[in-house]
Order: sequence, then C-alpha cells, then structure tokens
Amino acid sequence: MATKEGKGRAINRLKTMYPLRAKVDESYQKSVEAMRAGKPTVWAMLNWWEGDVILKAMDLEIVYPENYGAACAAMGVAQSYLDRADADGFPAHLCGYSRNAFGYASRMMKELNGEIPPEAPMGGMPKPVLLLSSNVICDARYKWFQALGHYMDAPMWVLEMPTPGVKELFMEGVYDRCINFIVEDLREFITFLERLLGKRMNWDKLDETMRLTEEICRVWHEISELRKAKPCPMHSRDFWSSMAPGLFLLGDLKDTLKCYRDMYDEVKRRVDNHMSGIAAEEKYRLVFTELPPWHTLGFFNKLAERGWNFVIESWGYHPPIPIDLTNISGPLERLARFCFQFNVGYFEGALREGETYGYHAYPHLVYARDWKCDGAFLHPLITCRSASTHLPYTQDMLMRKANIPSLTIEGDIVDLRLFDPVDALNKAEPFEETMEHYREVRRKEGFDW
Amino acid sequence: MTQRSKGLTRAKEIYRDRSRRVKELKTEGKKIIGYLCLYPPLEMMTALGLVPYRIFGDMRESITAADRGLPVSFCPFARSCLDLGMKGKYDFLDGMVMAHACDPVEKTAHVWELFIKHPYFYFMDVPAATRKRDVGVFKGELETLRETLESFVGEKLSSEELKKSIKIHNEQRVLVRKLYELRRPDPPLISGTETLQTIKAVMSIPVEEGNGLLREVITEVKQRRDGPQKKAARLLIWGSVIDDVSLIEMIERAGANVVIDDTCVGTRAYWTDVELTEDPLDGLAYHYLAEIKCPRTFVEAAHGEVRKDHMADLESRFSYLKDCAEGWNVNAVILQSVKYCEDHGFEVPELKYYLDSLGLPNTYLEHDYAEGSLAPLRTRVEAFLEVIG
Repeated sequence: MATKEGKGRAINRLKTMYPLRAKVDESYQKSVEAMRAGKPTVWAMLNWWEGDVILKAMDLEIVYPENYGAACAAMGVAQSYLDRADADGFPAHLCGYSRNAFGYASRMMKELNGEIPPEAPMGGMPKPVLLLSSNVICDARYKWFQALGHYMDAPMWVLEMPTPGVKELFMEGVYDRCINFIVEDLREFITFLERLLGKRMNWDKLDETMRLTEEICRVWHEISELRKAKPCPMHSRDFWSSMAPGLFLLGDLKDTLKCYRDMYDEVKRRVDNHMSGIAAEEKYRLVFTELPPWHTLGFFNKLAERGWNFVIESWGYHPPIPIDLTNISGPLERLARFCFQFNVGYFEGALREGETYGYHAYPHLVYARDWKCDGAFLHPLITCRSASTHLPYTQDMLMRKANIPSLTIEGDIVDLRLFDPVDALNKAEPFEETMEHYREVRRKEGFDW
Repeated sequence: MTQRSKGLTRAKEIYRDRSRRVKELKTEGKKIIGYLCLYPPLEMMTALGLVPYRIFGDMRESITAADRGLPVSFCPFARSCLDLGMKGKYDFLDGMVMAHACDPVEKTAHVWELFIKHPYFYFMDVPAATRKRDVGVFKGELETLRETLESFVGEKLSSEELKKSIKIHNEQRVLVRKLYELRRPDPPLISGTETLQTIKAVMSIPVEEGNGLLREVITEVKQRRDGPQKKAARLLIWGSVIDDVSLIEMIERAGANVVIDDTCVGTRAYWTDVELTEDPLDGLAYHYLAEIKCPRTFVEAAHGEVRKDHMADLESRFSYLKDCAEGWNVNAVILQSVKYCEDHGFEVPELKYYLDSLGLPNTYLEHDYAEGSLAPLRTRVEAFLEVIG
C-alpha cells in the first residue's frame, strides 16, 4: 500500500486532536496581540506546571523559547539565529534551542530595538518582562536564561525542583523536606511576581487553575492508559500533536479540558470497536523515546504502513501518574506535590526493581512492559544531551529486564540534517527480524507478550 | 619500609600513581570513599575515619566500556570517569558519594550506581541557587548523608568530631592558599604544572598526609633556586576540570607562566574556609553550596530584583576573577572547557565581555578531554601569546 508522506492515511488520526493542535498557533498569536495591547509577556522554560499555574492565575502571557526553537527549525529560520549565536561567542555544542533563542534575542535587541523580527515565524516572541527558568531536567534551562542577560534587562527567576536519587527519596524526612522547599519557593515566587507586576495574586483563581490543571492531566493520563489496548487506538503522532495544551497549559483551561475529554471519548470508542491508530494491521508495538523529528513526522507513516504502531512515548512529555490530593487544601502544596510527582512518580517501582535512574529511563521499562511493546525507537538529540543521556541506560535496561530490543536513530532539535529518514527506513526491516526474535525469546522466558 | 620521597618529588609520584597510597591504607583496614566533583563534604568522611578519594578520568585512555551507560556526545570527563569505573579501576573503593554537581554528573551518578557496585553509595542533591532556603534544604541533605555514613561505619558522628575535622580541612585550605602565594612573584616560584600535580596528589591521600605534603612542597619551593623562568605572559586559566598536566604544560612550554586558576582541581576547592558554626552543618552547607565558584550554581546580584542591572550581575558572578587577576598580576586569561560542558559554555560570552571591560586579553579553547585533542590548540595558544606580546 502506497501512502504519500504527510497525508496521514497510514495513521488513523484522531479528529479530536485537531482542536488541541490548533491551540499552539492560537497561543502565539494571542501573545503578540496581548503585547500590542500592553499586556506583559513572560518567557518561560517548560516548567512542568510549576510556574505556569501561577502565571496563568496572574493573567500573564507566556511564550516558551524551547518550543519556539522547534518552530524556527521547522520553518527554516533557525540557521540564521544559530549563526548569530555563534558570532556572539556561544559555543556550538550548546543546546540548539538556546542558541536559537540567543540569535533571536541578538537580532531583536541589537538590531531592532526590542521589536519582533519580521522574519520570526508564528508572530514571534514579544520582548519579555520576566524570564522564568527551571532547573528540572537540565542546567541549560537556567544557565540559558542567565546568559540572555547579555541582550536584555528582564529580571530572572529560577524555579527549583529537588532531584533526589531513587533510594534517597525514601529515606526519612526526604520527601517532606522536598515538598516544604517547593512550597516555600513558590510562595516567594508569588511575592516576587506581585512586586514585579504591582498587583495581588487572586488565590481563588490560583486554586481554580490548579484544579483544572489536575483534571486536564488526569484525563490526559487516562487517554494514555486506553492505549494499552490491542490494537492501540492512538498513534504517537496524535500524542505529539496534542501534548502542548496539557504540557504548557495553553488556551482557556476549561476549553482545553473539554478538548481532552473529547479525545478520551474518541479513543474509548476506538477501544470499544477494536479500531487501531494505524490503517495496516498492528504487527509491532513500539515505545518511542525523546522528542520526535518534528520536521519529518511523515516518516512515521512509512513505518505505519509496515504495521509499526507507536503506542507510548517519552516520559518527559506525559503528565504525572495521578496522586490523591483531596486532603491537601492549599493550592501551593497541591501544586508542589503534583509537580514533584512528575519527577519522582516512578521511583517506588524503580526502587523495587533495583533500577537507579528513576526518571527519564525507568518509566520506559514500565511503558514497554505495560503497553506490551516489541521494540523501542530511541532518538538521541545531538544538542539536547540531557534528554538523550538516559538512552544507553534505557536500551540496556529494556534488554536486561524485558528482552526488548532498541533501534537508535540520531537526530537533533534544530539541525534538521542530522535525522536521515531514508537510513532509518533501511533499518526497519532488519529491526523487524530482531523484534520477532526477541518476541520468541520473551515467550520462552514466560513473558506474556 | 623504604624511605619515602618528599615534597615535589612525592607529589609527582602520587600524581602518577595516585591510588597507591589509599590501596596501602585499605590493606591496613581503612575504608576508602570515592567522590566526584567538589560538592560532597569531605569533612564528614574524615571525621568518621573514612578516607575521601577524588574520582578523576584519564584523558590518555580510550573510552570503551562507558558506551554501555552514557552516550558519546556527552561530557567526556564524566564518560572517562565512568569508563574507568566500569573497567574496575575504582574497585578498591568501599563507597561512593556522588552529587548533583551539574546535570551530566547527576545523570552519571544514576548510571554509576547501577553498573559499579560499592558497599556504600549515596547520591546527594544540590540546589541550583544559593538563597537562604537553598542553603537550608542543602543542610537537610547533609543531615541525610551523615545518617547514611554513620550507618555505614556503625558509629555516630558527634558535632565535636565534625568540628575537629573541619579544622583539619581548613588547615589544608590555608596551606593551598599559601602555595598559591608562591605564584605571585615574577617569576612565580612554582609552575602551574607543579601546582596541579600537587593539588591532585593532595586530593588522593588522607587530609593530614596532604597537609604534610603541602608543607613539604611549600618549604622546598621557597628554598630552591631552579624554579620557573620569567616570561612575558602571566596567565589565569578558567574553566572546567583540568586533571592532567598536558594542557598546562603545553601552555607553559609555549611561553607563559600559569600563575593562577579558577578550576576545580585548583582554587575552587580551597579559596575560602568553612566557617565553624555552632551546628557544624550550617557552615558546611553554606560553604559547599555558596562558596564554591562553579558556574553550575546560579548567582545573581540581588535576589528578587525586578530590574536587572547587567554590570552588577556580571560583578556578582565574576568579580573574584578581577581580584585574582590583580593579586597575581595577570596580564591575560585563557578560558577553557571540555566539549559539551554547558555550564561553562553558557558563561563564555558574558565572561569574555567582563574580561574585556577589565582590559584583560582573553581567548576561549575547547577540547575533547583527550590528549590528542590538545595538539591543535598549541597553535592557537602560541598565536594568542604572540598577540598579547
């Protein structure tokens, strides 16, 4: 069966994905309009809800330079920004998204007196009143914003998330110490925002925003749970197309929640009707890890034609495993526990199984086992090392613990040339033989898939 | 027992065969605890009778085993350390303390814990910033570390013992600073290469032996007449870990004296003392989090400021380098880093801007933490030295 790349016929796209995907463009447009209307804009790192809930409650516009780096790469303007960053002395091995942002800031501040560059895609990023960084996952996410001081005088705030080791988390007093620290950090952040903006936090609104966030993430999590069905009713492409509103809290949150509920209903109908996320028969179920090659997503259609269904994907872009917060009354403590759960939600299992890389790596063992995967597709990103560091461990763990083989295809977050879809497709057939082999090995060893 | 060598000769011997002494101690029943980077508090280990031993890589050895645990495009120093560990070269360790010193070291710790089994292992989280709250939570982290070490050795650590240990380690800090004083004259009395050999040796033996070695070196250097020659360039070296003399030797052979550094096998470990606070953990927490000048730590001119003052920001981050440059009469700076070190890489444009504002010529070098990768840098160093005259 021949399918044209990009047409999506090999993958049964969810209708309910489109309204969620549209929220990304709407969000950028809204930021530009808000800036023109004099509304303050914040540049924020992806902060896994820790800061966004508060910023939304304070009615601030938020743009994400990480996201914007991907947009610039996909639309072909990143190279000029990367060249500018190089010229300004930033080493070329630094995070590609950060170099894109340096080039953008250089152009905006040095040449255009703070105006949005005319070539900037999706309306561009308006000059910020605040740089909100986060230390979750990697140091680049606060060092980068600190280095932006080279171009702009916006104040900066670092949100901190403790990162204990797996066994250390369960030592006496550690969990509570982490939660108390996050709560105090958030409280001080709010005080700072009030001073910066000259207005008070509306705590009722914060409470409502937090509750909506919890509910959005709960429904979003349930959608992923439905994907355990055989055949899997939702392909990873639909996950990637719909993840931004949940991850970045885009748009009106009540509407975002409705969109995810609609998606849940559609996926549930598919489960009930044994409908697959791909048009061909589901021959292989795969877990994908790290960011996908955004510019070459049509590549997955080719694999779908071969019966490859991507049934679950990168831990870092999924909501936390739901926890019971009903007895936690204050929104800050709920927010703290919710966000910390993202970081350490898999640690109990990791400890039980003797795995020491409790986030990033270990969740992929749970995914591969619970979603009954035949193989893992690992996508290391050359200039995003933090997201790629766990991949050798993950590969080793999947084989050690579940006889699941991995296929590694290199790529990057901004340098589109590094991902070679033809080479990747050439590796598909031999990898199918490998997956078949290990399916047999698993059967002999008593695994149930 | 044969008569042992002294001073610089001994430092050089330990530098070349650095695990020899701790292996001897191990046969005598001592427990050896490895640590990576500067953040684990050595005072606690010493106070409990443990011997802290700093983990380094080996830029002369090809990385072959670490590929199982870490990707190729990753901090080559951390990869080299893991590689040596996976090849069994740190098997003599009884335990290991690793810290969230930076993002790559944090992730290496999780891989290390899985692949290299020691009777004791602790991963210590380190906050990113140095606010009062950060110091407080870090103190809590040190309390947990203390409990696990106590459990490992089977005895309680009293505040008095810990204070005693802090004094001994502070003595080492004072001695290292005295050693650096010998680099102020022109020509310096001790070369950058000899200093690095001495510091690395000190990080490989028990603290009191290290103090003895430092005293010997200081005495010898003051008395000798065949020290470094006067050269036009007096350099400050800034950047990521330098645990092999190759780079410094190459720079010194190119016609410069390296008279001061801002690296973690140099001043960063020793530049300030730990304050002897009533609860010794307060002093330790503040020192290790706020006083070690690694760019992994977020420093700002004024916490919570609503408008950023760029020059004040730069002063808060880099003014100690101005003090070093003035104090050691530095006339140029070499910024260097291993490839893929983001914490140092992000600093480069801002630091160059700051040094430019001081009128200090500077250049940035990057290498792969492999002996072979240094050769192409020689031409750049020579050109730089020629430019600064």
